[in-house]
Amino acid sequence: MANYVRNNAWNNGGDFSNPDLLWYAKGIGKMMSRALNDQASWWFYAAIHGEYVNPRTAWYPDPPQFPAWRFITSPPKVPPSPLPDQATLDLYWNQCQHGTWYFFPWHRGYLIALEAQLRQDIVSLGGPANWALPYWSYFGGTNQYQMPPAFREKRLPDGSANALYVAMRYGPDADGNIYVPTPAGKAAHPGDPNFPYGAVTDNSMKNNLFTGTNSATPPPGFGGPETGFAHFGETHGNFESNPHDLVHVYVGGGISNTKFGLMADPGTAALDPIFYLHHCNIDRMWAVWNTSGNSNPNDPNWLNGPTQQFVMPTPGGQAWYYTPGQVADLSLLDYTYEELPTQPSPAAPILAQRLATLGASAAEQEKAKSIPAMRALPTQTELLGASAGSLRLGETGIHTSVKLDTGVRRKAVANLAMASATALPDKAFLKLENVRGTFDATVLEVYANVPNNEEREDGGKLLVGDVALFGLRRASVKDGQHAGEGLTFILDITHIIDELHVAKALDRDSLEVSIVPNRVLPGEAGIQVGRISIYRQAF
Amino acid sequence: MTYNAREYAQFRNWVFLLSLVAWIVILLKPGHSSCCVSRRSLESLLALTSEIRLSRDWGLMLIAMMAPTLVPVLYHIRISSFVRRRARSIALFALGYGAVWIAAGSIMVPIELGAAWWRAPDSYVPAATVAVVALAWQGSPFKQRCLNRTHSHRAIAAFGIAADWDLFRMGLAHGLWCTGSCWAVMLFPMLLPDGHFIAMVAVGILMFCERLDPPKTPAWRWRGFGTASRYLRLRVCGPRSCPVLFTFGAHA
Repeated sequence: MANYVRNNAWNNGGDFSNPDLLWYAKGIGKMMSRALNDQASWWFYAAIHGEYVNPRTAWYPDPPQFPAWRFITSPPKVPPSPLPDQATLDLYWNQCQHGTWYFFPWHRGYLIALEAQLRQDIVSLGGPANWALPYWSYFGGTNQYQMPPAFREKRLPDGSANALYVAMRYGPDADGNIYVPTPAGKAAHPGDPNFPYGAVTDNSMKNNLFTGTNSATPPPGFGGPETGFAHFGETHGNFESNPHDLVHVYVGGGISNTKFGLMADPGTAALDPIFYLHHCNIDRMWAVWNTSGNSNPNDPNWLNGPTQQFVMPTPGGQAWYYTPGQVADLSLLDYTYEELPTQPSPAAPILAQRLATLGASAAEQEKAKSIPAMRALPTQTELLGASAGSLRLGETGIHTSVKLDTGVRRKAVANLAMASATALPDKAFLKLENVRGTFDATVLEVYANVPNNEEREDGGKLLVGDVALFGLRRASVKDGQHAGEGLTFILDITHIIDELHVAKALDRDSLEVSIVPNRVLPGEAGIQVGRISIYRQAF
Repeated sequence: MTYNAREYAQFRNWVFLLSLVAWIVILLKPGHSSCCVSRRSLESLLALTSEIRLSRDWGLMLIAMMAPTLVPVLYHIRISSFVRRRARSIALFALGYGAVWIAAGSIMVPIELGAAWWRAPDSYVPAATVAVVALAWQGSPFKQRCLNRTHSHRAIAAFGIAADWDLFRMGLAHGLWCTGSCWAVMLFPMLLPDGHFIAMVAVGILMFCERLDPPKTPAWRWRGFGTASRYLRLRVCGPRSCPVLFTFGAHA
């Protein structure tokens, strides 16, 4: 039986009448009182995720400016020194795993270690011995897409400073109103121009493959691609992309290239206490995905972790080395969650719906309802089309043409025309390759433009998806961990291809694509896209 | 479209097989140290420097020693290209890459020849001199910068002449960074009066292992076997396990 229960941060209205949040604030306050090089300090733990405090790293801003830690507007007042010794730096700091199948287990161990340190400090302050990290359930009840009120208070009930309050936290509208634009948030504000997004979803929970791709799981998989040690890999997993990255960027928000929220950049995100509530929810949703019948990898390369092992400090001062296998299942650990619902399987088979859209016979549609086609592996994945040359996003985005290869396109058209319950229709994906820049606090909306759009309400612009540029700066540093080639995003455009096919508009030379930032980009943002490509996935 | 573990492994194994074949050809070639000159007559030395011989021997050397280090970028080219032109894309990359190394060979072989004429019989002085330089280069931030660039997998054009030129240029760029990284260790076995094949194998292993390391901030530090040694440790000893996991903090 678990010793600790992580509760919903919105209990008791999400303010300081919730003891989990009150003691969280007090515990953080104690951790913040320690020096940067103290392994039990808030700052040290934040640097484990990522930092801009060591000027000898390749990603330290040149010339020195925000997001370097000494330029952060307090609170919190972040100490820029003293740095730990080099051996300690090399062992612990800049470890966070992104764009990798280690994303979930690394962050689980990170939370366990931080929670242990906080608990020790909380107990020393007279708090409960069974305290556990709360989670922000932004997909939960009526108002839970909003940040719990305790985080916007500058003072605790006793008048002391509230460590949960952070000055550099701007929100999706850059006005200090912090919320996650989930479908519930949008539904609660019909016609409100401040809720234009509704792009943060838990749709990836319908994936059924942890790494890789199948007929129900777009690449690179629910949990991310197979990699080695990846402090910022190239392509984020499906769940990491949405909701994880979007929550980071929306909560952090941004005003300019030198003034954005701490949550928006992985090198500052863990300084913001809301980070750990966000990741607690991420961890909880991983557990829900597992309890709903989905398996983690049993590949030894995942279970044993990468060659550079994950390591965390502990309250006792020893280093804790851990592997994904050791933290893969909550039943192996000493905590659980207040809510761990099992999610139901999709009500209607996706294949049957697609066959209906594509005009397959009623008999095939009926047959499809009974066929378990949800785990079919692709037989071939091939390039279908690509844009020419590098694209630079202007202040309001860009519109471009993605040229389609004639031969591959005709294969796709023929396949869709013959789609049946046994001859599965192609899927299609759009890839934004090598996105580089410095303004992480950006969400890009990607649209495909359909022809003959005069009568359409949407003006012929079909939303492909949204991508958050969380980690962009660090991925664009030439001598950083990713050789400076930026981030790559994959979006499912199967529904677009289906619509074009039904409209007899797929057999054309190109697809028009628009990329629109969530707000006017600052002039110095300099966001480039190396290539927009479209891939066909045959089954 | 993305890294697919199974497909990557299949692709990697083919490249490794090609490399192995090249090693065997080098080993079995008459005077298999043809990439590396030992004491020879003037006539054989001059024959060695013929363009055809140089190109062939360097080509073999590239396939044997360099191909395994190029698996990641070659796979990137493969998944970024139309199926119908994957072979062409890889060939154009190889052409650009090989051109840089041929150019490098046109400098390194004369150095080898010059050393062969200058040194005393069976002298290790030239090789030892280069070994010292190679060690210093190996630990330098300049080497790290070159190594970092070899991890670059940028977007490439997909159609027509633009794609051809892009891939050739990519090959040139990777060849440049590769020679920048490896020139010193490549010269070392060429100057050995004896044992050059074994030295080539050792250098090949070093170059492969150092490519396993992720890009790092350029600095003076020893590099080369970090990831490889951790990999071996993990396979032989298993991951480190710590019993402290469940004794954190106070319990309810």
